[in-house]
Amino acid sequence: MTVDDQARALLAQAVRKTMDAVSGHPLDQALVELGWLDMLDEMPEIATPLVFKLLGETGAHAPLLNDVVLHAAGRPVGATVPLPFAGGAWVVWERGDNLGATLDGELPIHRVTVGAPVPLAAGRRALGWWLAGTARAMLALARSHALDRVQFGRKVASFQAVRHRLAETLVGIEGAEATLAAAADELGCLLAKAAAGQAALTAARHCQQVLGGIGFTAEHDLHRHVRRTLVLDALLGSSRELIRQAGAAVRAQGSAPRLVSL
Amino acid sequence: MAVAEFRTGLRAWLDRHDLTPGPDHTLEGHIAQLSRVHKALYDAGWMRYGWPVEVGGLGGPPILRAVVGEEVVGRNLAEPGPYSMVEVLAPTLIDYAPARLAAEMVPRLLSGEEQWCQGFSEPGAGSDLASLATRATPRGDDWAVNGQKVWTSFAQYSARCVLLTRTSPGHNGITAFFVDMDSPGITVRPLRTMHGVDEFCEVYLDDVVVPGKRMLGRPGDGWRLAMDLLPHERSTCFWQRIAYLYTRFDRLVAEAQNPDDSDLGAAYLALHTLRCRSRATQHRLADGARLGPETSIDKVLLATAEQHLYDTARDLLPGTVELDESPWRTEFLYSRAATIYGGTAEIQRNIIARRLLDLGAG
Repeated sequence: MTVDDQARALLAQAVRKTMDAVSGHPLDQALVELGWLDMLDEMPEIATPLVFKLLGETGAHAPLLNDVVLHAAGRPVGATVPLPFAGGAWVVWERGDNLGATLDGELPIHRVTVGAPVPLAAGRRALGWWLAGTARAMLALARSHALDRVQFGRKVASFQAVRHRLAETLVGIEGAEATLAAAADELGCLLAKAAAGQAALTAARHCQQVLGGIGFTAEHDLHRHVRRTLVLDALLGSSRELIRQAGAAVRAQGSAPRLVSL
Repeated sequence: MAVAEFRTGLRAWLDRHDLTPGPDHTLEGHIAQLSRVHKALYDAGWMRYGWPVEVGGLGGPPILRAVVGEEVVGRNLAEPGPYSMVEVLAPTLIDYAPARLAAEMVPRLLSGEEQWCQGFSEPGAGSDLASLATRATPRGDDWAVNGQKVWTSFAQYSARCVLLTRTSPGHNGITAFFVDMDSPGITVRPLRTMHGVDEFCEVYLDDVVVPGKRMLGRPGDGWRLAMDLLPHERSTCFWQRIAYLYTRFDRLVAEAQNPDDSDLGAAYLALHTLRCRSRATQHRLADGARLGPETSIDKVLLATAEQHLYDTARDLLPGTVELDESPWRTEFLYSRAATIYGGTAEIQRNIIARRLLDLGAG
């Protein structure tokens, strides 16, 4: 491990520990103390994937998307900004604990009537990492259930139908993470968010099925990740909308951009 | 040599040297064209980069080979199928053949002088490759081989074959040989396939005598050889296949009338995802990583993207596949095999479940 790798691992450890302990407004404050805003300014390429993926994996949340979007717009961070949502809607992700009617009841996200265009690439990439982390959290829950649960005298993980759903989930996540790691420009970030949204939706479907009845209860954590997936997928453009935009871009150019090369 | 510099040089060379395929679109024509392209690239040095000096190469990282493949296939100068045999079989010879044999033979493959094939699958051993039954028995210093292979791509054009045989029971009883295809006792019969291109063959082996010095590795190394070959297939080879699929997608974009943006976008996203994943794999290989079961993910992404692309072509070019004799028909039909050859989609998911998700035995 290089020094950089070590520093990154230590940072990830500290962030994960914080996210395991607190969520929402307290996490927002704790991350500022950990230097989130400085990291966003000085090394966004490292800080954003690290912090957002961990939000997904731990199931914690904080309104950091505001900072990413504001930073990309060259505006002061630490505030809020209206964000586009699927279907032409606008929302504000508040920095307090004022909960609203959002499907994911933990998130202080509210509809607003108007918003102004903001640069979206960095925010989409950040949300993509969050969705990838959420998908990994769902996969971990389904995997451990499949290994614990016994039916017909066998672990359900031994049934090929179950194994293939989990394998398909991992394929989606790994593919999405490759697009996220390679996302550098507007179209690349758009595609990466779409891939991550699709991967998380696929994970939600397969993992819920593998978990069977327990995954439908509010006693099990899965539903929290499913709700978060649906909300985050729709934020800054749903995978369905982004895919249509990507298709329009290809049609307008008359060929497919090769966004990455060796 | 830096990759970008290499690519620029290659592109300039290809711009100056016209290697456009002739009018012969038969499989035989494709093979002849590939041989022509490889010879020209070998003589100019390009085909030798990324290969060890001991086998006629000029050294440098394997990623340079992926660049050559992408440019050649991306310019439609050669078909990716027969080209891929180079990327699969040359590394196998380098890793397993006696040094002198590799030094003698590999340049013939790289320079387009010879085409080679891979004798793995059998009528009774498809997904369950380790159950193969083609038998090799010692006869003095030689071996006598009896049995039958199937799905042997391009066998009818091949001078040599990397052949898996059984020398004793079990996974450790598989032994590989490098066999001359003109040996007495070998009969090749091309299979008629649904897409109309007879690239797959049956190969019958009737008391074929193979010299002991043509053994690849030691007795029992055959299974390991087969497993070591897969990462080659799924790295540099995939990169050229991806380049090929992008050219087909471009053609679809050009030919489709008022295409649906969602359909175009979904096919593009699948290709882009595959390309990003494969790029990461090429770089891991370049950094000295040993590729393993994680390449099953690349394989699933490739097969899925390929079938998605041709399903989209059929949707956006209505009637073309069904009514016209165009390349779209052949390619659409061929794409149906993408989830079958090189390890079925089900086998890949079994590997992912067992090896990557650690779900235990199925």
